[in-house]
Amino acid sequence: MSGPEELDLGLGILDHQLVDSEGRRCGNVDDLELEDVREGSPRVAAILTGPPVWGGRGRLGRLASAVARGQTVRIPWEEVEKIDSAVHLRRTARELRLGRGDDRARRWVKWVPGS
Amino acid sequence: MKRLFEVALGILAAIGGFVDIGDLVFNVEAGAKFRYQLLWVVVVGVVGIIVYSEMCGRVAAVSKRAVFDAIRERLGFGLGLGALVSSQVVNLMTLAAEVGGLALVLQLLSGLPYRALIVLGIAALAVVIWVAPFEWIERIFGYGGLTLLVFAVAAIKLHPGWGSVAHGFVPHVSSSDRLVYAYFVVGLLGAAMTPYEVYFYSSGVVEEGWTPKDLGLNRTNAMIGYGLGGFLSFALMITAGALFLPLGIEPQLIGTVALGAQVPLGTIGLILALVGILFAVGGAAIDTCFSGAYNAAQYFGWEWGKYRRPSGAPRFTIAWVVLLVLALLVIITGIDPVMLTEYAVIFSVVALPLTYIPILLVANDKSYMGRYANGKLANAFGLFYLVVILIVAVSAIPLMVITHQGQG
Repeated sequence: MSGPEELDLGLGILDHQLVDSEGRRCGNVDDLELEDVREGSPRVAAILTGPPVWGGRGRLGRLASAVARGQTVRIPWEEVEKIDSAVHLRRTARELRLGRGDDRARRWVKWVPGS
Repeated sequence: MKRLFEVALGILAAIGGFVDIGDLVFNVEAGAKFRYQLLWVVVVGVVGIIVYSEMCGRVAAVSKRAVFDAIRERLGFGLGLGALVSSQVVNLMTLAAEVGGLALVLQLLSGLPYRALIVLGIAALAVVIWVAPFEWIERIFGYGGLTLLVFAVAAIKLHPGWGSVAHGFVPHVSSSDRLVYAYFVVGLLGAAMTPYEVYFYSSGVVEEGWTPKDLGLNRTNAMIGYGLGGFLSFALMITAGALFLPLGIEPQLIGTVALGAQVPLGTIGLILALVGILFAVGGAAIDTCFSGAYNAAQYFGWEWGKYRRPSGAPRFTIAWVVLLVLALLVIITGIDPVMLTEYAVIFSVVALPLTYIPILLVANDKSYMGRYANGKLANAFGLFYLVVILIVAVSAIPLMVITHQGQG
């Protein structure tokens, strides 16, 4: 990486934290969807996240993908607001169908006093 | 003025929070076996944890990302998952050992049955984690752990030969039992540089909302907190060296550690030592438990943090509850906490490179860190310790096997 204007997809985006418009952590960038690669002007079309996507991330990824539950969520690149150490999104996790694992888990926690 | 006071309180908590069951076991055993000869290793280990904690704290304050974020980003999904699994195994072993230590101390204080105290101890930890805010947890256990200073008084009262103590600070190789000596070098380094300390510390920086303005605080906290924490390690080793070695005692029980304060200082020394150990292992149990939950959440991108309240970060909450339950199941089998501690420390040494390499890489990334990236000094120290860690990681398990866990 040579300067602040350039961004290395592998190091600067892939595997980084997704943060929604309200500052909620809602997954990691598990993979990227590229388009027009053959046309010679490749661009990032979308961010992919969720257990099924892990299958494309090596042998351990396939194993993890096989045991974990959950769906792939595709976030069109237009939804990305800015990128620093995290990828910040323009809308809420709920609108983008992200963070549903946490939403599902909440019912196990919220009956305890003080939660 | 109020700010200065807060800084001082934070540092006191860091000192008290440094020592855990790994430090207790390895420092006391090293003293009982090699008297003061291994004191220099504690210095090397403490400087190492200062270097890497400062780095992790700086990365967290600048980027809002903790250690396992960096691990996933730099190692990728597959190797990152390997790092996650190995760190969780070590975290669980450490947590179980700390809980075992906690129950043993409670048993010495109350006389109640060990297994009942395990359950009681776990329940008490769960309530404290659930109810108390993050800063309180750090402080309650940090201040309680300061009671371990009784070992400094004990060490002085035992009149160690200060000349040989001073000689112990000079790096040297033992003339006898070289392999056992090497095993203790590895163990002491591992105990001082346990990875859960940086997982917890960096996530704590995010929990407390530190920004680049707090980098000075980060540096003082790491240097003075861990530095003076190392002082407690010296005291433990000197006490053991002065008392246990001449008597030929090999401390295999947590209670033996407390004897080091009882012999020179009487009952009050014993009680202070037990209370200090209680808070030290209790605090470390919470740190390791949180570390496990932080790591999983950061690796998978879940919401996390004590500051989010339990229902604001539900999978994180479930993760620490599950870890506590698993630790309960491990330790209630009756497995010896001291032996478990030794395994945990030695295995953590093997996992060290996977934690510290990504941190060093991220701390050097200008696009991530801007003008707060590592300078020459931080890199010189960082690289030196990376070499140390790699050597130690490769030799840890062979040494453990050859020396039968330091028994020779």
